[in-house]
Amino acid sequence: MATELTYPCSLTLDVPFPDARLANVALQALRVDKELSALVQKDLSAVDSTLKVQYKATTNRMLRVAVNSFFDSLALVLEVMEQLDVDVIEARGVQAKTG
Amino acid sequence: MADLTKKTRRIALGCEGSANKLGIGIILHEGTSLSSSTSTVLSNIRHTFVSPPGTGFLPKDTAAHHRAFFVRIALQALTAANLTIPEIDCICYTKGPGMGAPLTSVAVAARTLALLWNKPLVGVNHCVGHIEMGRAITGASHPVVLYVSGGNTQVIAYAEQRYRIFGEALDIAVGNCLDRFARTLEISNDPAPGYNIEQLAKQGGRVLLDLPYAVKGMDCSFSGILTRADELAAHMKNGGKGPDGEPFTPADLCFSLQETIFAMLVEITERAMAHVGSSQVLIVGGVGCNERLQEMMGAMAAERGGSVYATDERFCIDNGIMIAHAGLLAYETGFETPIEESTCTQRFRTDEVLVKWRK
Repeated sequence: MATELTYPCSLTLDVPFPDARLANVALQALRVDKELSALVQKDLSAVDSTLKVQYKATTNRMLRVAVNSFFDSLALVLEVMEQLDVDVIEARGVQAKTG
Repeated sequence: MADLTKKTRRIALGCEGSANKLGIGIILHEGTSLSSSTSTVLSNIRHTFVSPPGTGFLPKDTAAHHRAFFVRIALQALTAANLTIPEIDCICYTKGPGMGAPLTSVAVAARTLALLWNKPLVGVNHCVGHIEMGRAITGASHPVVLYVSGGNTQVIAYAEQRYRIFGEALDIAVGNCLDRFARTLEISNDPAPGYNIEQLAKQGGRVLLDLPYAVKGMDCSFSGILTRADELAAHMKNGGKGPDGEPFTPADLCFSLQETIFAMLVEITERAMAHVGSSQVLIVGGVGCNERLQEMMGAMAAERGGSVYATDERFCIDNGIMIAHAGLLAYETGFETPIEESTCTQRFRTDEVLVKWRK
């Protein structure tokens, strides 16, 4: 009964980050959660300051759902980086004290 | 880790998002030994996703809410605690149980924080968070715990480094029964459906409508009661009369539902107290805010020469501080969750956790 699944639908993304440290943080934060469906495969890696994202799915519909969900998570990671990274918080603290 | 035990001030930031509340809290533990350490709440910020009357909160919308508010709530928590990042020892997050998508959204943010700040991450069992926060706030040393919320209904007692489940709901949680009945009556979900049922019930009580009473040994069942309450609500809307031939109101329904399901909870809690020989009851979880439940439980405990310990909405309802507190207790014993293992799980039983911080 078990037929081999094929993954004809794919999408490759290169997400640029300001530096390798941030690309690596995104990689580690985003690769932990497994795809909920066996119909989708995800592969993440970081090369220098670029997050490389490879999605493969059995149908375009599954691919769209999985990639949309990935973008939701990626947007959250970026917002946390922008607003809560150590240097940003320190700058905010200095600003509050001086101004 | 070795120097953590010598550190007299230990601080954790906790992130909670297993249901419709996003909470971030920061706790301080002071003192060198586990037994003599004191806990201080430095900040405890929460934002709730409230769905329109007649509807519940769906996982997708709730996760989107948590993602949208995470940074804002985190900044508020940091500002209120007035500390710098180097002072924080660890980041704690809710590993489970709860709704998958909301749990994961908060875990992604918690991981990012831990990585950016270079702090260890600690995965926390949500139920253990409630229990430990309840103990810390009330000072109840060895209570029987009634954990009642929208997703969980458990009677728990501690023995040999586990929180043992003595009785639990067999189908839906008690809070889910209340939430869904609020939907039937199209009562507001703001601030919480259970709170609005409680207020409405105070105006009822002319009649006690007959609902099934479903205690099965140490366990409870609530889905049949909900079905019957829904039927009675439909009967009422069609102009039907009560058992005394007089019309009855939504308030009478809320009153009858509360009296019936709370009596069931009191019964199984009393049996657990008799079994373990404890006279203290600690009520935790969102339904634990209900003052009628606290009153009924108090009457039972008083007859047994004991008392009931309860907290207010800041700590009863899901919050970040309880995750920070329970996470820091575990971290102080050397526990941490490697980033690559920092997954979430919808099912995570209370008794799976090794409670290393208690004797």
